[in-house]
Amino acid sequence: MSSSPMIEFRDVHKSFGDLEVIRGVSLTVHRGSVVVVCGPSGSGKSTLIRRVNRLETPSRGEVFVDGINSSLARGEELRLLRSGVGFVFQQFNLYPHLTARQNVTLALRKVLKQGKAEADEVAEEVLAQVGLADKAESLPGQLSGGQQQRVAIARALAAKPELLLFDEPTSALDPEMIGEVLAVIRDLAHRGITLVVVTHEMGFARTVADRILFLDRGIIEEDSPPETFFRGAASPRARQFLSRILSPLHTAES
Amino acid sequence: MSIPIDWAGVLTGEPARWLAEGLAVTLATTIVAGLGATLVAVSLTALRLSPSAPILWLSRGIVSVFRNTPLLVQLLVWYFVGFGVLPAGARAWLVADHPWAVLPGNVSLLAPEFLAAAWGLSLFVGVFLSEEIQAGLNAIPRGQREAAASQGLGSWDSIAAVLLPQALRNARQPVVGQYLNLMKLTSIACSVGLAEITYQARVIESYNSHAFEAGTILYLAVGFVMERLLLAGGRS
Repeated sequence: MSSSPMIEFRDVHKSFGDLEVIRGVSLTVHRGSVVVVCGPSGSGKSTLIRRVNRLETPSRGEVFVDGINSSLARGEELRLLRSGVGFVFQQFNLYPHLTARQNVTLALRKVLKQGKAEADEVAEEVLAQVGLADKAESLPGQLSGGQQQRVAIARALAAKPELLLFDEPTSALDPEMIGEVLAVIRDLAHRGITLVVVTHEMGFARTVADRILFLDRGIIEEDSPPETFFRGAASPRARQFLSRILSPLHTAES
Repeated sequence: MSIPIDWAGVLTGEPARWLAEGLAVTLATTIVAGLGATLVAVSLTALRLSPSAPILWLSRGIVSVFRNTPLLVQLLVWYFVGFGVLPAGARAWLVADHPWAVLPGNVSLLAPEFLAAAWGLSLFVGVFLSEEIQAGLNAIPRGQREAAASQGLGSWDSIAAVLLPQALRNARQPVVGQYLNLMKLTSIACSVGLAEITYQARVIESYNSHAFEAGTILYLAVGFVMERLLLAGGRS
């Protein structure tokens, strides 16, 4: 199925009670592309990517991941779909009672049924990839925010996913730690993994993204390559958003 | 003026033997009911994690009944009513002699008094334990469940590997407290004739001297050792 797009949204809606946060999104994300999703808070960015691996239950419309309809996947099929999609949370959500290594190996052992030696080897490899080979035995509480998020990225990479989703990966970090996390994500972009990143880091978006989506009130207002987006976004709301976020007082990637 | 404590009257001869037997019964009841309460707590926790509404109501009903009635009444019901509703064959078997079921210290594991006490305490304390675990689960941020789900862990794996270890860690002190309560609550089982420490202290009291002091010190000593053991075990 390698010819199918990585993600395809078909007229996706999502409501929480009476509140409709996604109001008809159709979208195709190609393999190996790097897509940045931005927009004001409450615009539905997080909901949109959480819909991909069904952290949000479907309301209406379909989302296909590597050709599989994620709305219909159940049980084992859903677990395998999720295991093939790495997800990185704003709050890291590392398992606090497990070491960095165990955080990485848990799903390998439980979902992919790998043996301990095999899983430990993967852990070593992905922790080295995020620059934390020496922290394998540390508990999350002993790590800085930036290190925790890098362990979370290592955990998301462990199952060798073709698709990684980032939900505001640097928003909970102290400014001096944002750079180290963005550097890791930038590195992944060069390895050909498909990335969808919800972020306000416009410096990162400008240099790494192939494509920028601007979401507002549950609708994609703008979908363009970075040069077009930053030079002259068509939508007035996107221009307004940019002028606010690009003010010199806003901290961006160092 | 000092309270007259007649240690010699308690720590020698028959009274000393009675007290030792009482201690053995208290320990045996605590261990058996402790295991039983753990099983009850795990089962109730499993029921309460179920997505099915009738099962949830059932588990809430069980918790409500056992939490809102006095332990003394529950023990009396198990002893007098529970034993009575057993089939005649089972009753006859229970009251017959079973030397293999008698532990050192004259602790008869199949005596109706012991069974009623162990069973009643298992349920009573198990319900409170499950409430503590529930509180521990509720204190876990939603992101932990989401992280487990996002990695493809099934509901059993996420409970066993991600949620329960954290719940037990959150609830460690109250859980230890419930096990200590269990040990102390065995004293109430003297009301159904279980010959544990308090029961024996009363016997000695009517025989020759003050024995409650000795009983209290025994509870304190058992409680102290148990607390250390449980806290050390829970840390690992």
